[in-house]
Amino acid sequence: MKWFETPSFDFIRGQKIAYLFSGTMVVVSIVAIFGLGLNYGIDFRGGKEFVFEFDQPVDVAELRTELTEPLGTGIAPEIKLFGSESEILLRTDAEGEIDAVRETIMSTFSQLYPDASVSVEKTDLVGPRFAEDLRRGALYSIIFALAVVFIYIFIRFKGWYFSAGAIAALAHDVLVVLGIFTIMAEFAPFDVSINQAIIAAFLTIVGYSLNDTVVVFDRIRENSIIYKTMAFKDMVNKSLNDTLSRTVITSVTTLFVVIVLFILGGEVLKGFAFALVLGIILGTYSSLFIASALVVELQNRAMNAKAKS
Amino acid sequence: MKGQNNGFKIGSIVVFLGLTLWYLFPTIQNNLEQRHMADMTESERIQYESENLEKLNRLQENSLSLGLDLQGGMYVTLEIGTPQLVLELAGDFADDNLEEVISVSEDRALEENTDFIDEFVEEFETRDPDALLSRYFRSDSEEITRRSSNEEITEYLKNQRDEAVTRAMEIIRSRIDRFGVTEPSILQQGNNRIVVELPGVDDEERVRGLLRGTARLEFRMVAEPDEVNAAKQQVVEYFQENEDELEEEGQENLLDVFDPNGRNEYVFGYAAGPDTSVVNTLLNDEDVQRLIPRNTTLMWGAEPFATDEGVDLFEIIAVRSQIEMTGDVIDEARVSFEPTTNAAEVSMTMDSEGARRWARITGANIGRPVAIALDGFVVSYPTVQNAINNGRSSITGLGGVQEAEDLVNILLSGALPAPLEIVEERTVGASLGEDSIQAGLYSILFGLTVVAIFMIVYYRTGGVIANIALILNIIFILGILAAFKATLTLPGVAGIVLTIGMAVDANVLIFDRIREEMRGGKTLRAAIDNGYSNAMSAIIDANVTTFFVAVILYSFGVGPIKGFAVTLMAGIVASLFSAIVITRVIIDYLTRDKTATVNFG
Repeated sequence: MKWFETPSFDFIRGQKIAYLFSGTMVVVSIVAIFGLGLNYGIDFRGGKEFVFEFDQPVDVAELRTELTEPLGTGIAPEIKLFGSESEILLRTDAEGEIDAVRETIMSTFSQLYPDASVSVEKTDLVGPRFAEDLRRGALYSIIFALAVVFIYIFIRFKGWYFSAGAIAALAHDVLVVLGIFTIMAEFAPFDVSINQAIIAAFLTIVGYSLNDTVVVFDRIRENSIIYKTMAFKDMVNKSLNDTLSRTVITSVTTLFVVIVLFILGGEVLKGFAFALVLGIILGTYSSLFIASALVVELQNRAMNAKAKS
Repeated sequence: MKGQNNGFKIGSIVVFLGLTLWYLFPTIQNNLEQRHMADMTESERIQYESENLEKLNRLQENSLSLGLDLQGGMYVTLEIGTPQLVLELAGDFADDNLEEVISVSEDRALEENTDFIDEFVEEFETRDPDALLSRYFRSDSEEITRRSSNEEITEYLKNQRDEAVTRAMEIIRSRIDRFGVTEPSILQQGNNRIVVELPGVDDEERVRGLLRGTARLEFRMVAEPDEVNAAKQQVVEYFQENEDELEEEGQENLLDVFDPNGRNEYVFGYAAGPDTSVVNTLLNDEDVQRLIPRNTTLMWGAEPFATDEGVDLFEIIAVRSQIEMTGDVIDEARVSFEPTTNAAEVSMTMDSEGARRWARITGANIGRPVAIALDGFVVSYPTVQNAINNGRSSITGLGGVQEAEDLVNILLSGALPAPLEIVEERTVGASLGEDSIQAGLYSILFGLTVVAIFMIVYYRTGGVIANIALILNIIFILGILAAFKATLTLPGVAGIVLTIGMAVDANVLIFDRIREEMRGGKTLRAAIDNGYSNAMSAIIDANVTTFFVAVILYSFGVGPIKGFAVTLMAGIVASLFSAIVITRVIIDYLTRDKTATVNFG
C-alpha cells in the first residue's frame, strides 16, 4: 500500500487559509481562557475530591442541590458521572478535616438513597498552598520546555526562524487544546479540568508536534544542500511533500493508540487521552501548515531587511 | 567490515535482551508465586509464607512495583511547620517582636515562594539593622553565644530544620513500621516536605492520625470548683445581658448551644459535637475571656461523655494553665485492660526524674483531680488517691484497643520536633486500581494489535520486521523500569501505549526513505543502506528533543507524572535501539543473498 508516494501539494500557498483558520482558533481560545477562566482541577486549585461508587444509578443534579447546604460552601459542589451512571466524581472546597467532609457527604447520600450502598473509590486532598506550588511547577515546566526546544533547534538548524516557526506552532497547539478544554468544561461528559496529567499531556503534545516539525526541518536542511538554486519557498514545499507520507503514517498510528486509550483506558485517563487526541491532530496540522510557512515568511523578511540595509 | 559491524550489533542485542530478562525475572517469578499462593488455603499460605519469607521478600523487592494508583493505597505529602519550629527554638527568649517577625515573614515566604528562614532573617534585619538574632537563639550546647552573627544563626536555623525533617522522617518510619505496611516509602521533598507512600492502606483516618500525631501529653491540675462556678455564673450572666444585642447583630448566643451544667463540679459545661466550634468562637471572644480567671484554661474532653438522641455530647473541663509535667518523661508505654470493665487503656512508666516529680505532684494533691491532656484535649481527670512513687500512670477513657495501640505507638516513637501539616493526600481504593490495570492492559494489547496490523498492511515484510522490534521494545521498556527500580503508574501505562504509536515512527522514517531510494532506481541493498543513513539525522533530532521534554517533565512533575516521564524516556531509548539496531540486523539477515528480496510495500 502506498499513500502520498510523490505528492505535490502547495502547502505554502495554503498558508493564508491556514493563518486565518489558526488565527481564529487561537483568538477564540484566548478569549475563552480569559473570559471563562481556566477550569483548574484539584491539583491546581486545591480542595477535596472523591470518587464514590453506588450500587444503583444516581441523579447528579439532585445530589448537587442536596449537598450544597450541608457542605456549607454556599455553592454547589462539582459533581460529574465517573464512567457509569452509578459512579460520581465530586469536588468541593468545603473546609474541615477530610473525614468530616466525607461523613457529611455520606450522610446526605444515605438520606437520599436509604437502601444504596456506597463506597469511596478515590480521595484527593490538595492544600491551597501546595496547589499553588504545583501550578507554578506546571507553568515553569511548559515555559522551560519551549525554551529548551528553541535553543536546541537554533543550534541544530542554525537559524532563529526555524526556532521561531517551531515554537509558534507548539504554542498554537497548546493554546488551542487549552481553549477547547475550557470551552468544553460545562458540557463534557468526562472530567476536562486542567490537572497535572493534562500538563503531562501538553508536554507530550509539545514533544510529538516537535517530532513532526523537526523531520520536515531536517528535510529542508538536506534539500538545501542538494538543490542550491531552488527558491527557499519551493524547497520548503518540496520538503513538506517529501516527508508527507511519513507524517501521515506516524500520525495515523499514534492517533490509533490514543483513541484506543481514550476508549479503553478507563475513566481516570479520559481527559489525558482526550488532550492527546486533540494534540496529535493539531500537531500534525501545525507541522504541515504553520511551522514551515512561518519559517518561509520569517526567512523572507530577514532577507528583505538584509537587502535593504 | 559489514560482518564485524553486525556481530557487534547482534552482541549488543543479546546483552540488552539478557539484561532485560535478568531484571524482569523476579517480577515474573513473584507473579507466579502470588498465583500459586492464591490457590492455597489460609493456613497453608501462612505456613508457606513463613517458610519462604526470605525468598518472597527478595522477589517482592526486586519486582517491578506498581504505583499506588494501580494497586491502591495512600499517598501523603506532609509539610513541617518551620515557623513553629523557629518559635520553639527560641523557647523562653521569644517575645512579641519575634512572633510578629515570624508571622510577617511567613506570609511573605508563602506569597513569594521563598525560603521562610531567609525571609525571617531579612525581615528581622530590616526592622532593626543592628539587632542580633543571637538574643533569641542563645544556646550553650549549640555554641551560639551572644556575639554569634546573623549568618551563623541563619545556618543554625537551616540545620535545625534539616534535622527536624530527618528526625520527623525517622519517627514516621518507626510509626509506620509498628503499624505494619509492606513496602512503605518515605522520602524528603524540597527542604521542608516529606512524601509518604503506603501501598494497600485503606484505613486513612487511622494513618492520618499516626502521621501527624504529636501525642503532646500534659499533666495539669484541675481548677478549683468555686472558681469554676464563679466564672461560669459570670459568663452565663454576660450572655443573658447581651441577648438582645447579639440577636440584633445576628450572632449566636452561647446559651442556645451550650449547657452550663455538668456531671461534676469540675465541668464548666457541655455542648453537642456539631456545636463545639461555635462554642469555641463564642468563648474565645475577648469580653468573655476576661471573665475567666487568668490561671484557668478551658479544654474539651477528648471523648463524648454521653449521647442525646444519637448526638454526642462533649464536656468542657476547667484546668490550670500551668503544665505540671509533659510526656517527655514517659519511658515505656503499653496497652492494658481495666480489670472490671475490660476497657483498653495505656499504662505508662516514667523515667526516674519523671517519677520523682510525679510523686511530688500526687503527694501534694491527694483528693484532687489531675487532668491528663493529649494534644489539647482532656482524656481523663482521675482524682489522686495517694502519692504515686513508682512513676506509673495510665490514660483511660480511650475509644478502643486500636486507639490505645496507636497511642502507644506514637508515645514510643517520640514527639515530632515540629507540627506536620498534610498538604496533599491521595487515596485510591484497591478496586479502582484493579479497574485501571485492566483498562491499561486492554489499551496496550488493543493498541499494539491495531498498529501491528496497519504496519503489515502498509509495509508488508518491513511491517513484520517493525512489529518484531515493537514487541521487543515493550519488553525493553519494562526491563529498563525494573532495572532503575521505577514504579509503573497509570500515566506510565499511558506512556507505554503512546510509545507503541510513536515507536514505529523511526521505522516509518527509514522504510519511507528506502522506498524513496528504490524509486530513484537504487538496488535493494543500496536503498537499505542509504535509507538507514539518510533517515538517521531526522530520527536523532526528533528523539533528542522529545527526550529533553521528558526530562523536564520528570524534574517538575510529582508522583504519577514522574512515572509517565520515566516510561517516556525509557520508551525513547528502547525504541531507538529496536527500530535502528534490531530491524537492521533482521533486514541484513534477510538480504544476505544478493538475489534476496524484501518487500517494503
